[in-house]
Amino acid sequence: MAYASEVLYLGYLASKEIFAASPRKRGETYRIIARQVIFTGVDALPPVTFIALMVGLLVIIQAGTTLPHVGASGLLAQIIVLTIVRELGPLITAFIVVWRSGTAISTELGNMRVGKESTALEAMGINVTRFIVMPRLIGAIIAMICLTVYFDLVAVVGGFLVAKTKLTIPLAVYLEDIGNALSLADILITLIKAVLFGFTIAVICSHHGLSVEGSPTEVPQQTTRAMLNTVTICLVFDIIVTVGFYS
Amino acid sequence: MIKGQPTLELDHVSAFLREGQRVDDISLLVRHGELVALVGGDGSGKSLALLLAAGIEAPLKGTVRILGIDPALAPEEGYVDLRRRVGVVFDRPALLSNMSVFNNIALPLRYHTALLDPEIEDKVTEALRLWGIEHLRDWFPAQLMLSDARFVGLARALILNPEILFLDDMLLGLDAWGLARLRGFFEGVRSKRGMTLVTSAGAPTKLFDVLDRVLFFQNGRMVAEGPPAEVGRMQDAAVHEFHSV
Repeated sequence: MAYASEVLYLGYLASKEIFAASPRKRGETYRIIARQVIFTGVDALPPVTFIALMVGLLVIIQAGTTLPHVGASGLLAQIIVLTIVRELGPLITAFIVVWRSGTAISTELGNMRVGKESTALEAMGINVTRFIVMPRLIGAIIAMICLTVYFDLVAVVGGFLVAKTKLTIPLAVYLEDIGNALSLADILITLIKAVLFGFTIAVICSHHGLSVEGSPTEVPQQTTRAMLNTVTICLVFDIIVTVGFYS
Repeated sequence: MIKGQPTLELDHVSAFLREGQRVDDISLLVRHGELVALVGGDGSGKSLALLLAAGIEAPLKGTVRILGIDPALAPEEGYVDLRRRVGVVFDRPALLSNMSVFNNIALPLRYHTALLDPEIEDKVTEALRLWGIEHLRDWFPAQLMLSDARFVGLARALILNPEILFLDDMLLGLDAWGLARLRGFFEGVRSKRGMTLVTSAGAPTKLFDVLDRVLFFQNGRMVAEGPPAEVGRMQDAAVHEFHSV
């Protein structure tokens, strides 16, 4: 309970800082946010592309080859929207961001604590939440939104193109079916999940990084805890959103 | 701040850190423009006393007033304003590892002032030149020797022209040339008397000659105080041993 309240409080403080930074301090903050978006979003494109292609390929091949046997070929697009857009897209993207950027956030902040860098920031009158946590929060949310949309596109379109050797459906028909199966609610809920996961990743990983008290051995311990807790809480949020909107 | 006015006051301050460092019932008054050193061996409490005086650590008992403000009671805006007026150099320089030397020194200017990039460029270049570290401008902290890192830390702490500078363990990592540069800096501060300096040292040094007062610490307590020459002549066994090294 104490853990949840500490994480939520950090999330509250970081969210508050988004609107609190005075204009003269925004320049430096924007620089850090831009770096975070590049690191978390742009640099993650190669692994996201590869994993999205593989996931899309597997789902499309499984659905495309199994559904005709039960006389449900027409459900291919719905199955793909159901599994990739609604569930796997946001969730797998979140896992990639956790493994790649979540570990980086936790380790970087932990090392900053060990090297007394965060103390030095406080000594200079620089608000650690504003300077360190808030840019990572915004960066993670922007990156999660962009990467989730990108993952869905690559998995749905790229996966189909890769799987085409095993399927007989023309691309145009496939895309039209996907368009018909996809509702505005699906897109909105995917985006809601992306924002929620981005928030969770940044806040939990920052919390664990800042929890390091001074010993270098605490850094990997806190990073491991951050990974486990972030993945678990993302899954819980995913279930809550899915049950809340679709049940 | 008017010359001679109290800049720093510690009133019956006690504190204890997890690492075992402690200070007991320390009272101290430093006036504007004074140069003061807290000296003593490892574990004597001098560094903790300096961090308490700088408002980095909070006391368990007693009060600390820096430039007339108690950092523990200051509202957020007041606290940030206080931190702008105070420079701190840690024993490990605590430079931001993902920023170059230039950006480390420029950080307080970027965060606390409305200066434009060319003005920041000029100020940081001047600071780099002053400390003889222009060639390190684009280096990162991991590439620096400790002495260079300490001068970068000093340049960063001084970039906003603080009214009071805290310099922890002034001798750490400095070679003869580094000590000479530091002496020159101390002499400059002493001649202008525009800034208060509180530093600490774990061994006797000729740099004490430039200071106004030395406060000797042992087992978390302040056991002697006075002008450097007088403290060196005191008969207290620990003080005598320290000065005879």
